[in-house]
Amino acid sequence: MTTTSGVEKVRDWILGRHADRDELGPDENLIDSRLVDSLSFIELIYVIEGASGAEIDFDAIDLQDFQTLSAIDRAFFGQVAR
Amino acid sequence: MTTTMLPVSCTAQWMAAARAVESERADALFVDPLARELATEDGFELLHKYANGGLEPFVCIRTRFLDDGIAALRPADGITQVVLLAAGMDTRAFRLDWPADVVVYEVDHGALVEYKQRELDRLGARPRVPRRAVAADLTTRWLPELVGAGFDPDQPTLWIVEAVTFFLTHRQAADLFTTLAGASAPGSRLELDILGAGFLRNPFARTFLDAMRADGRPWLFGTDEPVEFLAGTGWQVRELREPGQPGVGEQRWPYAVQPADRRGANRLWLVRAEVAGGR
Repeated sequence: MTTTSGVEKVRDWILGRHADRDELGPDENLIDSRLVDSLSFIELIYVIEGASGAEIDFDAIDLQDFQTLSAIDRAFFGQVAR
Repeated sequence: MTTTMLPVSCTAQWMAAARAVESERADALFVDPLARELATEDGFELLHKYANGGLEPFVCIRTRFLDDGIAALRPADGITQVVLLAAGMDTRAFRLDWPADVVVYEVDHGALVEYKQRELDRLGARPRVPRRAVAADLTTRWLPELVGAGFDPDQPTLWIVEAVTFFLTHRQAADLFTTLAGASAPGSRLELDILGAGFLRNPFARTFLDAMRADGRPWLFGTDEPVEFLAGTGWQVRELREPGQPGVGEQRWPYAVQPADRRGANRLWLVRAEVAGGR
């Protein structure tokens, strides 16, 4: 049985917002590339919450955790994936 | 440019640049033929510098929302005065259809009023409604200047407060709307935009917010309770909208509209209110 991993759901969501892209590397910077902007960032949080089942504390956000897909994976799915 | 502009005034050119770009789209929400000239290169530089995803569609959806509020005016409403506060490079007096008997007041500080008038004269622009530009400093007692220009507090008014509240403190914003309510006859309306509090705490907005602060025009005020905030200043909210909702630029807003109870959502409020205690 295969299921889409959490970080793949995040990748799919980002790619779904950018019709001109069909791939997104694990270490590509989401902010510098403007793949995620200030308003879509909030939606990204909800996507991560939906995929991980965890609630993210808005007042304790570490931007480093959202720079790349691999950072998101480490911060929010690392425990679950293993 | 020969006139010295305050930092906040440069945002007037920036907004004009956003309206110019919008006007040239095939699916434009409005057309502002004067915007490109009024924006100058300064405006387009800021548009590029502050490019931040949702900001440009928001500016254009907001413009249209407030245009719609003017288009909705009916003689039976009795509103004969429309006041554009911190009007900047607004050209509604030149591009919208206006009901008979309406006078438009554009309030902004003196340097901007003078500069804008020179540019409008140079462009040969002619207003489609009686228009009075009022030089006043909104951070001091400015109402006498407006009255001096012919404004009558005993006549119903539509106040348009667009792209203003971001730059005020909570206290300044509350004082402003209290002042407006005090100068509003029954039946007066207030239409405006207010930032939600979430955006000011959004880490992905940090770069933008820091740039605004560094350039001397920090964004200060936002609230997630605009109805309560305005009620405390004498205004009853009739319509509270957000970009992306039906009839509010839904075809142009690239984000999901969040449910009302969504934790941590970043709101951009578009508001129509009526002065409390009237009628």
